[in-house]
Amino acid sequence: MQSEESLVRRAQNRDQEAFTQLYEEHFDKIYRYIALRIGNEAEAEDMTQQVFLNALQSISSFRWKGVPFSSWLFRIAHNQAVDYLRRKKRTAVPLDESVASNDNTPQVIAEQKLDIERLLSATQKLTDAQREVISLRFTSELSIAQVAEIMGKSQGAVKALQHSAIVALRRTLLVTENEAK
Amino acid sequence: MKQNKEFDNILDECLERLLVRGETIEQCIQRYPEQAAQLKPLLETALAAKKASAIQPRAEFKARARYQFRSALQEAATPKRRPFFGWLPRWATVVTIVLIVLLAGGGTVAAASNSMPDSLLYPVKLATERVQLMLTPSQMGKIRLCARLADRRVAEIIYMADKGDVHQVELITQRLDERLATLAVLASALEAEEESPVLLAPSAEEAMPSAEDRGASDWANNRAELRVTVADYAASNQAALRAALEEVPEPVRAALLQAIAVSEAGYQEALEALD
Repeated sequence: MQSEESLVRRAQNRDQEAFTQLYEEHFDKIYRYIALRIGNEAEAEDMTQQVFLNALQSISSFRWKGVPFSSWLFRIAHNQAVDYLRRKKRTAVPLDESVASNDNTPQVIAEQKLDIERLLSATQKLTDAQREVISLRFTSELSIAQVAEIMGKSQGAVKALQHSAIVALRRTLLVTENEAK
Repeated sequence: MKQNKEFDNILDECLERLLVRGETIEQCIQRYPEQAAQLKPLLETALAAKKASAIQPRAEFKARARYQFRSALQEAATPKRRPFFGWLPRWATVVTIVLIVLLAGGGTVAAASNSMPDSLLYPVKLATERVQLMLTPSQMGKIRLCARLADRRVAEIIYMADKGDVHQVELITQRLDERLATLAVLASALEAEEESPVLLAPSAEEAMPSAEDRGASDWANNRAELRVTVADYAASNQAALRAALEEVPEPVRAALLQAIAVSEAGYQEALEALD
């Protein structure tokens, strides 16, 4: 098993295989993060592509500072999302084909889609920072330290934000459930 | 306040156990019976939020993106066409530029310094810059020059973006990235130079500041000034690029957004190196 550091060093030396491996490892996570953050599928697709093209162009400037490579990629994605959100109002993400099918039955997939639809609609009612922390912590599964690095905040601030984000999400989900009844 | 902080820590630990180590909600809250009532609904919500990790990119999009990325990767790996003067060894480039300056009385180089990428004189501008960088003796001077050159690149990006030239915007963005990366590397080297005198620090009994101390203080002031200069360039260039985004033709927007991302990351890295 090759270490991430040596993989990144090879990619910095324009090793196509190494860069492709990094791309495959991180593509879905970056897409998921952006999709949840901006709530627009078409834009999330364009932005995910752009994140990797930017990474390809600027990988020579990446320096090892004891932080995983994924934090650097998420940081690029974070900057792009911030730019996007400044410019545009959010719209709901169409969910067709946006859910992993794996070996699930059509009924399970349909339920999964419904859950995600509810969740996405609820997250769109959170503040941008709350949505970002939910996305990075629970769908991208990053550590508090990584989230703090990406968001440019202290770990304590991220923990507090995580708390308020879950409380807000719970409240929104309950409201949506009650409206559905 | 302290209680809130404590609860934030407990919640975070439970989330780690629940989401990373695979414990159940019951196992998590058993550890904190006093906070159980408050923790349980929050952990349930976190589990619900985790369901979003089933979101996947569409298969067609993934295939298209992979193809486009591999094309870009191949293009990046292909040896680039040698630039103007690129066929000459570095020393010969210096001599050539000096000759141009002498023969043309500096007029050509002066004219070239204001040229834009669509001008015939632009390659002379780039070659002159390379020579300037080589001939600048101090690290501080080189950093200042890099900051000015990066500023020029941003002006060129905006100029070419206005003209709708996607290819040129991408090319100059790459040059901007290289220039800012050089700036960051030079600034990191400054750090190393700065640290070495500490190892040879004079004894504490020397109450009066020595010439060396005064030199160190001047050096620190210069460094601080340099950081302010780079920060000013970063702020004004980010603002200029963002303002341009509203004006440029649609096809060039993606390339300009990329330039913004590169410039933001590059300046940030340079400023961190100067911290």
